[in-house]
Amino acid sequence: MGPTGIPSPCSLVGEVMANGPVSSGLIEMHLRVPGGSAGQPTFFPGQFAMLNRPGASAWTFGRPLSILAWEGGVVRFLYRAVGRGTRELAGLGAGSGLTFLGPLGNPFPAETGGLRPVLIAGGVGLPPIWSWLQLYGARAGGPALACFGARSVEDVPWTLVGDRWRVAVEEALAAGDGRASTGLVTELVTAELGDSALDGACCVMACGPWPMLRAVRDLAAARGWPCWLSLEEHMGCGYGVCKGCVVPLREPSADVGWRPATCCQEGPVFPVDALAWDVMQPEGSP
Amino acid sequence: MMPAWWRTDPCAPFRIGPREFPGRIWTASGCFAYGLTGHEMTAPGYASPYEGLGAVVTKTITPEPRAGNPMPRLVETPAGALNSIGLENVGLREFVRDVMPRLEAAAVPFVASIAATCPEQFSDLARAVQTAGAKMRHWHGLELNLSCPNVAEGGHDFGKDPDTVAACVSAAGGGAGDRALLVKLTPNVGDIAALARAAAAAGAHAVSAVNTFVGLDVDLATGRPCLPRRFGGYSGAAILPLALAKVDEIVRKAQVPVVGVGGIGSADDALKYFALGAVAVQVGTAQMRDPFCAARIARQLQTG
Repeated sequence: MGPTGIPSPCSLVGEVMANGPVSSGLIEMHLRVPGGSAGQPTFFPGQFAMLNRPGASAWTFGRPLSILAWEGGVVRFLYRAVGRGTRELAGLGAGSGLTFLGPLGNPFPAETGGLRPVLIAGGVGLPPIWSWLQLYGARAGGPALACFGARSVEDVPWTLVGDRWRVAVEEALAAGDGRASTGLVTELVTAELGDSALDGACCVMACGPWPMLRAVRDLAAARGWPCWLSLEEHMGCGYGVCKGCVVPLREPSADVGWRPATCCQEGPVFPVDALAWDVMQPEGSP
Repeated sequence: MMPAWWRTDPCAPFRIGPREFPGRIWTASGCFAYGLTGHEMTAPGYASPYEGLGAVVTKTITPEPRAGNPMPRLVETPAGALNSIGLENVGLREFVRDVMPRLEAAAVPFVASIAATCPEQFSDLARAVQTAGAKMRHWHGLELNLSCPNVAEGGHDFGKDPDTVAACVSAAGGGAGDRALLVKLTPNVGDIAALARAAAAAGAHAVSAVNTFVGLDVDLATGRPCLPRRFGGYSGAAILPLALAKVDEIVRKAQVPVVGVGGIGSADDALKYFALGAVAVQVGTAQMRDPFCAARIARQLQTG
């Protein structure tokens, strides 16, 4: 356990227990890992792990996957097979070994300071938001508004996104399908909240693609709400040594007004005001 | 099972020039940050990733802080990594004021890697580090980075000329003092042994061989190089035989101790360098995948 109460990362070898689709594009993996003391938190929402193949078949770099849950020695991940590594992950059957380094990174705040939480997740950005709702949703200041956005209704992992969630999908719904609304998840949030006198009464936590994060930033800024974003960056090491996943942070004392920060070690969760949005490329990097 | 010829304890003290190092398994510059990261990590049988390490060669510092290159900076290939980090670093002032005292307090054996654009700057950097570290027990030496291929002002070409190598070594003190002076050589030359001889003649106690190979990868979606600066430094498992060939050339043609670096991911990989005559090795890219990689290699080479 680190000085901040965050569990120290462990390098372990785990065994895949289950690995299969939970929607048209999302895959849930259960990995059994040794250890974990009873009563101690194993991770905090927003933290991730680096997974790799063991031994000679290891990739040059592990793959960072956000932790969905970690209970009874089983870590659950949600991912999308988009590149060489995640496609290979998707092909692993029960009994396969994987190296695990985690939990890594900084989590979302556990306390909202009495503010009502507005939780926004897009696609594969669901795990940290989902776990936050599971762990802290009941004790926050006011009922959480949890919204999930996906491209289509088939892309929604309905086993995870149940009654507590509002869902928006970009593709038009079939007539009579009342499970989701059509549009962007940020439009759904705006509609759910109305433009009522909620100013200052909410805080926002979000994870998803960059266009969504920018819209969330604007939504929170317009109302003066505190906001935390979990960023997805390509990572090499996952623990701050390779400097391959930098994002620009505001730094008034620096000549240029910003400094590079590793997304893996200083993030992946950042307060929205810490980010130097003016020097960012569309995908977040400086 | 270790081969019969291997009888060295990699965690026993040994000497490079005037300095005794606590062990022969090191981490390479740029691959384990400043040696302050990951101390809280554990693995079964290991209390920390620093167990058994002979030295951490710290991330290269320059006279002023550098923000590094634009993203993307890192490209993975099936057997290696192409990087264009661009010497992002905290700069000399923060290094001597903050990093070195913390390394000393944490008892991390370290070698400070420094890079500059002319011999005069090497002189300033070396002197500042020597002054700050004069009374430190855990600061063991300097490694001159003459060969970082990612810096626009020509760091790559800088280390290719034997005369320039010698001038930088002389400027950095020429090996005077009680700490080791190492030079990290670029492999992107025809005659690497000439560079090693020049370094040794100017006073370097050892050379670290090798730095990354120049590489390029293409993004098929755009048809353009993956890295914004086209070229990067290639490292990882793929370069092991290439680096071994360069080390062999130096060992046979230059009278200078060699610290082997390039593509080491296992105890067997490290043994190949020792078999050729390297006095120590550095674990680089593999340390990024597994923070315990160097510690595991040290343990395995020690206990079989």
